[in-house]
Amino acid sequence: MTVIPKAGSAATAPRRRAGPVRLAAAFLLGLALVGCASRPDPADPEAVAEFEQTNDPLEPLNRRMFVVNDGLDTLVLRPAAEAYRIFIPPEIRTSVRNMLGNLRSPVILLNDVLQGETQRAGTTLGRFVLNTTLGVGGLFDVATGYGLPGHGEDFGQTLAVWGAGEGPYLFLPALGPSNPRDLVGTGVDAVSNPFTWISGGAWLDTATAARIGLQVLDTREGLIEPLDALRQGSLDPYAALRSAYRQRRAAEIRNPAVSSPAARGTGFGVGAGVDGPRR
Amino acid sequence: MTRPALATRRRLLGAAALTGGLLAMRRGHAQQIDLARATSFIQATGEELVAAINAAGASVAQRRERVAQILRRAVDVDGVGRFILGRWWRNATAEQQQEYLQLFEQVLIRNLSARFGEYQGVRFALGRTQARTEEDALVSTIVERPGNPAFGLDWRVAEVGGQPKVVDVIAEGTSLRLTTRSEYSSVVTRNGGNVAALLTAMRQQIQQLSAREGG
Repeated sequence: MTVIPKAGSAATAPRRRAGPVRLAAAFLLGLALVGCASRPDPADPEAVAEFEQTNDPLEPLNRRMFVVNDGLDTLVLRPAAEAYRIFIPPEIRTSVRNMLGNLRSPVILLNDVLQGETQRAGTTLGRFVLNTTLGVGGLFDVATGYGLPGHGEDFGQTLAVWGAGEGPYLFLPALGPSNPRDLVGTGVDAVSNPFTWISGGAWLDTATAARIGLQVLDTREGLIEPLDALRQGSLDPYAALRSAYRQRRAAEIRNPAVSSPAARGTGFGVGAGVDGPRR
Repeated sequence: MTRPALATRRRLLGAAALTGGLLAMRRGHAQQIDLARATSFIQATGEELVAAINAAGASVAQRRERVAQILRRAVDVDGVGRFILGRWWRNATAEQQQEYLQLFEQVLIRNLSARFGEYQGVRFALGRTQARTEEDALVSTIVERPGNPAFGLDWRVAEVGGQPKVVDVIAEGTSLRLTTRSEYSSVVTRNGGNVAALLTAMRQQIQQLSAREGG
């Protein structure tokens, strides 16, 4: 994939009356060409091994998206999360987090089942029943006190359990670190969530919009410190985040037998495994 | 660490869950790390670190010196440092290697000391310990800070020169040495395989961290 010069020549090609489709195709092709990392010298087996292990053939494009995301985050997301933290008392934020977690239960349950994890499915179902009733519609996480701690699960993980590979690493503005498998997973999660389909009436539509908005705020608020630490403390935040994301996803897919009470969510971005740290 | 090696470790981790008889069998190995010893080592080291961080009345410099002593004794700084530099270790000159290890130690220490404020009131609880491979054990802890979510922190302990040493720290499934290795390698690669560029970046990082330490 060392065809980088071609991208430049495509851009400077004389512009005839190209249709929008052809323009878009040319644009995408250019993007893909510019985005491809040059493969290391095949004579250097260690460099080749590292290149393959890093699993980031689109690195130049991903790094550009990382910068875009960083700008977006600095201008919009992080300030919004800061405001959320400053103006909303912690008790209410905890309840919001509990409620959002409860609303995710159907998706978690579905994926527990699809992965054949009957015990975890039972836990998820038990949590949903307990927290919806005794926990006043999910505002309080009473189930954890009954010995049913929560866990995350998503369709990206299910695909992995079914044997799908992750595909090349991707970094997407607003969604953060991902890969084709987790990206499909995120889409299927949204589609398979019954709350996505509840509509009819301005009230319900507002509720859905509020749920999504709160989800973004809650996730980013929980990540203020970790992402600040990454930004300030890392010699290469992009590479560190890539490594951390892939390790974290691998750990989540394994479903460690003893998960720490705080273990859940990818902790980065609002794509796969949307949870932030729990209070 | 190569991916197959990682996969092997994962499988070993799964195998470790079966423990019981298997563990008794492994005990026979000379290299086998004693799980009880690893646990008490982390307990003792953790308590020392928490005491040093929370030491009331001590200045930041005093507390940093205390933390530095603990880390030098408890962490296999040279081994971890070499692992992290990975394939670039051989590209480095002897002087660069030496400077790198010194800088790496400083980065470890300063990363903690720059956050003394954040870590004030930190507590930890021991979880369980499991054999990870023949040579190392994984000691799980839960770290709590006032007003912050608790998180899982696992310590990989190996016998180095007859002494238990920390060889990795894993926060919520993310290994610090794997992440740092990826980060450092990326810096060297993007600077045309030049280790000196990494050393410069590390020096800057230490400066920034000490500036944040303030008073």
